[in-house]
Amino acid sequence: MSSEIWVVADIKADGQVRKVTFEVLSEARRKLGGSVCAVLLGSGVSDKASELAGYGAEKVYVVDNPNLKDFNPDGYVKSLCELIKKHSPAVVLSGNTAFAEDYMPRVASGVGSGLAMDCVDIGMTDDGRLKIKRYSHSSRAISTQEFSGDGSAMIATVRPNSFKEEEAAGAGQVVNEDVGVTDADIKIKVLEMKTKESDRPELTEAERVVSGGRGLGSEENFNHIYDLADLLGAAAGATRAAVDAGYCPYDMQVGQTGKAVSPILYVAVAISGSVQHFSGMGSSKVIVSINKDPEAPIFAKSDYGICGDLFQVLPPLTEELKKALSE
Amino acid sequence: MKIVVFITQTQDTEARIKVGSSGDSIDTEGMKWIMNPYDEFAVEEAIKTKEAYGGEVILITAGPQRASQALLQGLAMGADSAVHISDEALGETVDSLVLSKLIASELGKIEGVDLIFTGMKIIDEESVQVGIQIAEELGIAHLALVSKVIDVKPDEKKLVCQKEIDGGSVSVEVSLPALITCPDAMNEPRYASVPNIMKAKRKPMKVVSLDDVDFGSLGIGRDAVGKSGAKIKTVSLEVPEVERKLRIIKGSDETTVKGDEIAESAKELVKLLRDDAKVI
Ligand SMILES: Cc1cc2nc3c(=O)[nH]c(=O)nc-3n(C[C@H](O)[C@H](O)[C@H](O)COP(=O)(O)OP(=O)(O)OC[C@H]3O[C@@H](n4cnc5c(N)ncnc54)[C@H](O)[C@@H]3O)c2cc1C
Ligand SMILES: Cc1cc2nc3c(=O)[nH]c(=O)nc-3n(C[C@H](O)[C@H](O)[C@H](O)COP(=O)(O)OP(=O)(O)OC[C@H]3O[C@@H](n4cnc5c(N)ncnc54)[C@H](O)[C@@H]3O)c2cc1C
Repeated sequence: MSSEIWVVADIKADGQVRKVTFEVLSEARRKLGGSVCAVLLGSGVSDKASELAGYGAEKVYVVDNPNLKDFNPDGYVKSLCELIKKHSPAVVLSGNTAFAEDYMPRVASGVGSGLAMDCVDIGMTDDGRLKIKRYSHSSRAISTQEFSGDGSAMIATVRPNSFKEEEAAGAGQVVNEDVGVTDADIKIKVLEMKTKESDRPELTEAERVVSGGRGLGSEENFNHIYDLADLLGAAAGATRAAVDAGYCPYDMQVGQTGKAVSPILYVAVAISGSVQHFSGMGSSKVIVSINKDPEAPIFAKSDYGICGDLFQVLPPLTEELKKALSE
Repeated sequence: MKIVVFITQTQDTEARIKVGSSGDSIDTEGMKWIMNPYDEFAVEEAIKTKEAYGGEVILITAGPQRASQALLQGLAMGADSAVHISDEALGETVDSLVLSKLIASELGKIEGVDLIFTGMKIIDEESVQVGIQIAEELGIAHLALVSKVIDVKPDEKKLVCQKEIDGGSVSVEVSLPALITCPDAMNEPRYASVPNIMKAKRKPMKVVSLDDVDFGSLGIGRDAVGKSGAKIKTVSLEVPEVERKLRIIKGSDETTVKGDEIAESAKELVKLLRDDAKVI
């Protein structure tokens, strides 16, 4: 086993490196010791190596292969397994994204490693075993877990927004690797990919989030949520009930099934406050809720709130916010 | 179509939970155990597929004796038979790699499997990995987070699905056999009615003891089942109580704000956010 700490870069649909990659690189450097290196997998991604060096990567292992695209896990699984077998890093980390949840379990299985998903803290024991904290039980419990140190790579994914990113010049030595991913390795055929560009921040990265629930009543009324989000520079989220009713797309869902967010400010509009929704936003620093039911469970878990009809409350609230923000 | 569903029992996370005396797990004394909610979506999808294309649905669980309740529920929903890898040691922390090997080896004994459904995660441990790891053990394709099965082509042995990705969705095609992990957006699981639960008791349920498992061929020792064999150990667990400020502005009648109170409440909330919370 080498003493290298690997951080697998997460590349967005638009080809940019996701912020969580820089957060993980920074925290790995601060907390784990060893030589922090990046792994860059994708198609036409080689030019991103210097960005990773800008956050302290000593080496950047690059697999640039036309089969690594469209969030298709097969080629990534093969590449990462081969790299891990060849170089035996001590630790392999990545951001916890839907894509990481897709390919990492298979990688862990392929190389016989333990895997801890969606960690909110990382560190090392004195004898060099990875130690993490993660939520469980619908985010109502938090556990501290340690790897047994059996010599296999210790693999973990890290929740976005858990750590501060911090630039630091790393040597960034590029190591090109050809693991020979061929068409035969790709079992999944992607017929069509639909990604939408939004000017709003991404849910998992945002410092502020405004979410709407079933009480919004229609897709059109969700514009109230988008307007408030834009005013605050926030991401827009939703409950499962709102997604189910077709008011907004699935990728806005916050909660146990959807995205886990921990912004500084979370505004919940017409959301009752189910355990499953809280599972995805309960760790927000400040929770504000607007609900017309004085008994709504969400009020018992909020810092501030207004008991009122959203359609009456949002217009004056927007005006007041505009005033406060322009001061 | 021969369809297999992996199901498991989980702690009811909507119930009150507290830390057990060992300090590293939730107190399970008097705990209500339920079928993992995501596995209900998996069972529903399997039964729907059977109804549309014919075939049979087989459930597999690895768990202690009580886990047979989850199997009964799945059988009552409409599955045809079940396999229970049963041992009390499976009621404690078991490494996900060990679990996936155990389940894959039982699955290997069933011939001609076309399609496998699993939940996207279990709601207590939330490890989010066992299903996909079984696909790796078997060397078959997996599709994670499938929100919609678009087309099943039993004759061509192909399947078309929509799956969710960061920032959008993709439609994909795979050859069968394949494994699918199910989120909650897929369908509306049917209830297991009491008469159907009674009938389910007469459906075939095969119980496999760990004594019957050929651990040598799995490349692990029997002692791998249990905390000592785990690659990741929980050293402590907390159920934190987050203190919230609870400053909810209500109308004078303790219900909704009305009339002039509305504009006043908006002013007051913004003031609180600026001066008290300092978030704007
Ligand atoms: C396995 C599983 C996974 C799940 N995962 C998730 C998940 O990831 N995310 C998630 O959110 N849910 C999830 N759920 C669903 C969850 O249990 C709840 O059903 C859901 O969160 C409720 O959404 P809601 O608060 O929008 O709707 P409701 O519970 O119907 O609440 C609507 C609220 O709006 C208020 N309201 C209505 N009209 C107005 C108005 N004009 N002005 C002000 N307030 C108004 C009402 O008082 C009410 O409190 C999951 C469920 C299961 C079983
Ligand atoms: C005190 C205690 C009691 C526990 N009791 C049980 C128990 O009774 N039964 C139990 O299964 N686990 C139990 N566990 C959890 C167990 O140790 C594993 O953590 C868990 O089964 C592994 O699943 P996971 O979290 O990796 O599942 P995930 O990877 O989150 O699950 C994904 C999917 O994999 C499938 N799957 C997962 N586990 C199984 C399984 N055992 N059998 C069939 N399919 C499965 C399901 O389709 C599930 O939706 C217990 C843990 C503790 C601490």
